[in-house]
Amino acid sequence: MTSFTDPDFQCGCRTGESSELDENLEILRQVPAFSGIPIEKLRVYAYLSRRICCREGAYLFHQGERDDRGYIIVSGKARLVRQYDDHTAFLETLKEGDFFGGLALLADIKRLFGARALTNLECLTLDRRSFQKLLMQFPELAIKVLDAMIRRIARMEEKLLSMRYDDSSISP
Amino acid sequence: MITQKPLFSWIFRRYAGLQLLLLAIVLVMVFARVFPLEMQKRIVNVAIRFKDYHSLYLYCALYLGAVVLAGSLKYLINVLQHYIGHKILLEIRSRLYDHILHIPLPFFRRTPSGMVISSITSELSTIGDFLGGALAVPVVNLLTLIAFGGYMIHLNPLLALLSLAIYPVEIAIIPYLQNRFNRLNRERIDTTRTMSNHIGEVVGGMQEVHGNGSYTIENRKFARFARELFRLRYRMSLIKFGIKFVNNFFQSLGPFILFLVGGYLTIQGSFDLGALVAFLSAYEKLYDPWKELMDYYQALQDARVRYTRVMEYFHVEAEAREDRPDRSPARLRGDLEVSGLVYTVDKNVRLLDQVSLDLPSGGQLALVGFSGSGKSTLAMVLGRIYNYDAGQVLWDGRELKRMSKVDLVHNIGFVPQHPFIFNGTLMENLLYGCEALDTVALKETAWDGGGTAARENAPQSSRVPDRETVLNMILKVGLFDDVLRLGLNSTLSARRHPELLPRLVRIRQMFYHQWGEELEDLVEFFHSDRYLHYTDLGCNLTFGNANRHIYEPPHIAEQPLFQEFLTENGLMTPLVDFGKNLAQRTVTLLEDLRDDPFFFQKSPIPPEELDLYRELVEWTERNPLSPLGPVRRNRLLRLSLRFVAGEHKMVALPSELEKKILEARPLFREKMKRKDPEGFTFYRPTEYIGNETILDNILFGRLKLNRPGAVEKVQDLVVSLLGREDIMDEVMEIGLEFQVGSSGDRLSGGQKQKTALARALLKNPSILILDEATAGLDNASQARIGNLLENEYRGKCTLISVAHRLDTVRHFDAIAAMKAGKIMEMGSYEELLERKGIFYDLVHGS
Repeated sequence: MTSFTDPDFQCGCRTGESSELDENLEILRQVPAFSGIPIEKLRVYAYLSRRICCREGAYLFHQGERDDRGYIIVSGKARLVRQYDDHTAFLETLKEGDFFGGLALLADIKRLFGARALTNLECLTLDRRSFQKLLMQFPELAIKVLDAMIRRIARMEEKLLSMRYDDSSISP
Repeated sequence: MITQKPLFSWIFRRYAGLQLLLLAIVLVMVFARVFPLEMQKRIVNVAIRFKDYHSLYLYCALYLGAVVLAGSLKYLINVLQHYIGHKILLEIRSRLYDHILHIPLPFFRRTPSGMVISSITSELSTIGDFLGGALAVPVVNLLTLIAFGGYMIHLNPLLALLSLAIYPVEIAIIPYLQNRFNRLNRERIDTTRTMSNHIGEVVGGMQEVHGNGSYTIENRKFARFARELFRLRYRMSLIKFGIKFVNNFFQSLGPFILFLVGGYLTIQGSFDLGALVAFLSAYEKLYDPWKELMDYYQALQDARVRYTRVMEYFHVEAEAREDRPDRSPARLRGDLEVSGLVYTVDKNVRLLDQVSLDLPSGGQLALVGFSGSGKSTLAMVLGRIYNYDAGQVLWDGRELKRMSKVDLVHNIGFVPQHPFIFNGTLMENLLYGCEALDTVALKETAWDGGGTAARENAPQSSRVPDRETVLNMILKVGLFDDVLRLGLNSTLSARRHPELLPRLVRIRQMFYHQWGEELEDLVEFFHSDRYLHYTDLGCNLTFGNANRHIYEPPHIAEQPLFQEFLTENGLMTPLVDFGKNLAQRTVTLLEDLRDDPFFFQKSPIPPEELDLYRELVEWTERNPLSPLGPVRRNRLLRLSLRFVAGEHKMVALPSELEKKILEARPLFREKMKRKDPEGFTFYRPTEYIGNETILDNILFGRLKLNRPGAVEKVQDLVVSLLGREDIMDEVMEIGLEFQVGSSGDRLSGGQKQKTALARALLKNPSILILDEATAGLDNASQARIGNLLENEYRGKCTLISVAHRLDTVRHFDAIAAMKAGKIMEMGSYEELLERKGIFYDLVHGS
């Protein structure tokens, strides 16, 4: 932890008239993977998800780590980084409203890439156990959610594979 | 052996002095009982007849004296009787328990624990009542009977013989009934046992019952026993009351004979009316001792049946006791020679068959094989947990079968796959083996409170290691972090560690000084002018910890003092409204999810209260304008005090309310100072908070939940500070005082195994037998233990390890691959791989 207190970065601790749950609900509705879910059920998703904050330069998770969450960026920017034996590849820069890391919601596998905060970052996250509980509770939604999520993951993987041979983003 | 002692030998051989005293008192009492009869006669015949006031007073005084004496003696007899009886019961129980502890293990494989429990507790308990009176009761009552009978014969021999003639008839009938009663009673004991075994089993397997929803099946099984028990009890009461009936019937026949014969004689003039009346009253006095004799007879039969039933069950040869407890135990080198070893169960199933192997002192042998191959059994036989049937097991050339238990436990450390951890502290569990070493040779059983004598006999050099050795061992087996964490998460008892409080407060200040600013992101410190989002609303108001039960949540919500404070500061209405909002939002959200407690982790309303608050919410919706009334208002107040802003996200705390709470905080402190200065310990940077954990006290705040890795990072910093401030040992010690719970349930599987390993190693054994003792550990911990055994114990301690994971046995001197109770091949890891036999198959998983 390199930086010290930043009075503008008061993430998580809020008081005011709109509840965090309502705000989370708004964010989830903007994400394609979840936007098809009826609002009263999405409310439970919003209830179970949790905000996580990360300072500029710090990692949300590292490559190879067993992390069990999916992330949606609430504010700030993050970059996905893949480490190879001899070099590092920057995969994608993510911004507000982007959803990533969803594979961890489906199975207990090691991270294929790391995620680093480019600015002070606030994310909305859902952990695997909650996600599985939700799938069990609303089975009629499972296919819809899984479909959207797998599409998203497949697109990421495609990108990852094409990156490997694309020298433009490779740093020495 | 204790199980062969007849019931009465306990009575004849114990407390002779007390029993003689009892007998003497009995004799005096019998006299004191008959004496009033004579006084009665003299009052009528002498005092009244001759109008002699002086003798009237004298006889009445004597009468009164005799009655008082008889009463007090009876009391004394009862007390003595029970004292003797229960003292004997104490001895029977303790010696039986001691005997059971020494019965070899296979007995317990077929004996459910419910059986042992019911035998020692309920079955034996009524015997105590009986034992005390076993001699005194029959003597008292026989003598009383004879005394009254004699007095009657003295009055009129013919009438006396006639009225006593009915007793022999009773004596002929009652034993017949009693025999049938005994038979039923034996059946009842057996049924009760099976039932308690069954209940014990079901409670142990409750997981399966709930998992399978097999309530009906279990109810049915139980009902079978319960109905059988009812049937037996019912038939027993038929006989019991039958005996009573016979008794009463014959007793009432007596006066009938007296009236018929006595009346006839009186009409004829050969017997006078006064004598007849006196006779009748004497006859009535016979009833009590006779009834007591009958009761005694029944109690005797019952006690006999219970006693023999219990003793028969445990009539199993116990292990031989050490005959020379004062000699010092032999130290073995750990040289093992096994030849032609056979271990059989159920008469002809050979679990071990012709096993032979040699292992030099300090060598390391791994036993491997598919499950059911007999590797665990072999380990247990080598540690004499089970006794072998044929062949030889020689440790240092001495036959294992004939070695004394004292030598064995001093030399062998045994760690089973599922070690048992006893209820108590972690430290007690670690030292269990060593403390046993100090006492294993002692013959004493504790029933007579002979502990002091035993301690004097104990060997001079205790085997219990000092604190440093224990801490060192904890470090070696990898339990250090666990213990430290347990210590940090314990609440400190201020009474037991007063010296630690100021030191911890100093560490708190250093912690804040050093990392406070940096950790502002991860920890929400207790700043007195900030609202705490990870602490509940109630604490945000009081900003302290309750020292009295009445101020603790949820009781504080009902406290008149607290409510008065809320009203004074305009907080009552906003808090109740907030509670209403919170209840309404939570109920809507979770109403349909109540079946799974998982969804209630971030809810201020636990699942069991959901209905309560749902009704409340519905009521407020139906009657929006009616006043709530105190019950509903308190319920909502309780809910809003429970609200944690960072956790319960269904509503936001209105900024108006937050401001009011912060303003009220110092006012509450002032009010308490005036009304009840001892009621709260307020959060102050300089004050230790008694009912918070050590970690929270050092943080003086709470971990924020929204930062990845916060817990680990903060704990690491705290630990580094503890090390620097030299207070680590104290925290470790508090961790060692952790109560592990029944069967060690509050420890993880890995922690239990590490504890058991440390427990065995602390004994400093020359032979260590591990039965898959590291199977529950993660790879890193397993490797750590492997290194420890390899580097520190090779050559010093003979190791026999049953291994399931084959990558852990690479370094062993020898590996024995087993199949169907036989050693198929033995050699080093490489040798066995080259041979391409069953070890090769095991490694390559075919």
